[in-house]
Amino acid sequence: MSLISELFGKSPFSALVAHTKKVHECVKLVRPLMEACVREDYEEIHRLQDAISKLEYEADQVKHEIREHLPRRYFLPVDREDLERFLHCQDNIADYAQDFAVILLIRNTKIHPELVEEFLAFVNQILKVSDTLLAAGEELDDLAESSFGGVEAKSVLDRISGLGEQEWMADRMQRKISQHIYHLEKQLDPVTIMFYEKMLHTLSEIANAAENTGDLLRAMIVK
Amino acid sequence: MTLLVIGITAVLGLYMAWTIGANDVANSMGDAVGSKSISLRNALILAAIFEFCGSTLVGSHVTDTVRQGIVDPNALSSAPAVLALGMACALLGSALWLHLATWWGMPMSTTHSIVGAVAGFGVVAAGWRAVKWGMLGQIVASWFISPVAGAVAAFLGFRLIVWLILGRERPADSAIRVWPYIVFIVALVVTISTLCDKALTERVPALKDCLSGRRALILSLFISGLCGLGARLFIARHFRDYDGVSLHEQLSRVERVFAPLVVVTSCSVSFAHGANDVANAIGPLAAVVDIVRGGGQIKMQVLVPMWILVLGGCGIVLGLATYGHKVIATVGDKITQLTPSRGVAANIATATTVLVCSRMKLPISTSHTIVGAILGVGLARGLAAVNRNVTKSIFGSWLISVPASAALTILLFLLCRLVHLDEVLRNIIVPAALR
Repeated sequence: MSLISELFGKSPFSALVAHTKKVHECVKLVRPLMEACVREDYEEIHRLQDAISKLEYEADQVKHEIREHLPRRYFLPVDREDLERFLHCQDNIADYAQDFAVILLIRNTKIHPELVEEFLAFVNQILKVSDTLLAAGEELDDLAESSFGGVEAKSVLDRISGLGEQEWMADRMQRKISQHIYHLEKQLDPVTIMFYEKMLHTLSEIANAAENTGDLLRAMIVK
Repeated sequence: MTLLVIGITAVLGLYMAWTIGANDVANSMGDAVGSKSISLRNALILAAIFEFCGSTLVGSHVTDTVRQGIVDPNALSSAPAVLALGMACALLGSALWLHLATWWGMPMSTTHSIVGAVAGFGVVAAGWRAVKWGMLGQIVASWFISPVAGAVAAFLGFRLIVWLILGRERPADSAIRVWPYIVFIVALVVTISTLCDKALTERVPALKDCLSGRRALILSLFISGLCGLGARLFIARHFRDYDGVSLHEQLSRVERVFAPLVVVTSCSVSFAHGANDVANAIGPLAAVVDIVRGGGQIKMQVLVPMWILVLGGCGIVLGLATYGHKVIATVGDKITQLTPSRGVAANIATATTVLVCSRMKLPISTSHTIVGAILGVGLARGLAAVNRNVTKSIFGSWLISVPASAALTILLFLLCRLVHLDEVLRNIIVPAALR
């Protein structure tokens, strides 16, 4: 009856923060997975893969809910396409984390002792990138409150701008590990090398997705 | 007998005022109640006080337009009874239309209904010349301009709030600092509308000295300054400094700091609404009273009589007291997105626009102005999801309310003419010697 009761739709921002937190939980399991692989604790890998799979599914559900409540007639403070691409890209982070778990699960791959430290360092770098991005994403509520302007927006944008460099360092580390692997190729069987490459590729995809998500978050803020 | 005529019209006016009070209170107090800044009961009490004050203190301007600014009384100087009958039918017709619209769940505006009704009967009673089309054109133009003006004012106001408060390093502290100035501005708008008014000095000659010329402006500034100081004392007592608290924490406290301010600004919206919308109920009544008192000669008094304004104010208060709580309850949950910081911007923009239009004697729809203001805040990126299609409802209201209300009024008017009610009225109003 009253005009103003029809004016408002559901805010997507708290749901976006919830999605970011779910993705963050997925990514947090990557390091335990790597450590379990190094220890050759295959039961732990199995358990962690189950956990990640469940979290990834829950993130998907949040994503679908957000999409459902954003019909065209609602005008948003950010560009709608940027928001959808951001959501899609952030969801990819969780997807790649889950892919990594599956790779570790389907074959009991042993990590060559000389490569252990580099692999762990690489995982740390990847997680640095994704943690930076996800911490920024969890501030969407505050960004909306301060209307995407002022000190809050500036601080988030500053943090995102560091993502590019961090991702570049991750790329460098990946190249170094690959070189080291081919150094040791006489000591390794081809299938193991294949799986090392798959692991490296999936991990670097996590960082790439995080960097792209950061770009879209910047686009959303700046509009 | 003449008392009976006035009495019946007064009842109709009271009824219309009741409808206005019941339906529109959600517009002013909805965001205060929805954001839990104030309890429903206290909101209704405050709304009642400010609606009454707005109606009685500033309501005469728009009332004058409705009583003689739409239909030219001189066009009906030979048939004053017809004018009186028409005005009464206009009241009944638009009240009926409002009920139908509510029943059918359609958006409705009390202003559009009464303006359509009065213009409608004017055309039927005395032809096209009877209606002051120039004035009507201005009124319709103001229906377009007021939501836009509200939007622009709210956009700029909210941008200011973001710049001064939300975008700062310590938003909660900035809010505490800016508080008194916002109260000052709100008080200034209300006092200027009330005090800088020639009609007020004519009504109360005792005030002529202290309100002449610039003195009214200075008095307004002084009173507003006092309000600002009072605000600073209030806020010093209730809100401690938020030093050493993270940005995230500060942002989540800001809304709490703004909460009392949204109550203050909602009161100003109630005041403005009373000033503009009371005319929808008592404008026609004022016309009828003048005709009856004039004894057959149409001679509109310069000032709208005080008791009519008071009657209108009481009607609005009755309406919001008896039915308003239901409407607010329905609306309150749905506008939680209008948090206090946003609500303050929208309220100030609405109150200012409505009061300016009231002083310009233009009857506008406060609900449309509020919608405009909220859209303005949305454009300033202050709201998470705003329904664009509401603008369609606004246009729909214009296109439907005016003709529908006019049609009902014309129907009633012709019915009355059919049963010779106009002659009965003429016999009552015009003394035998002048017939």
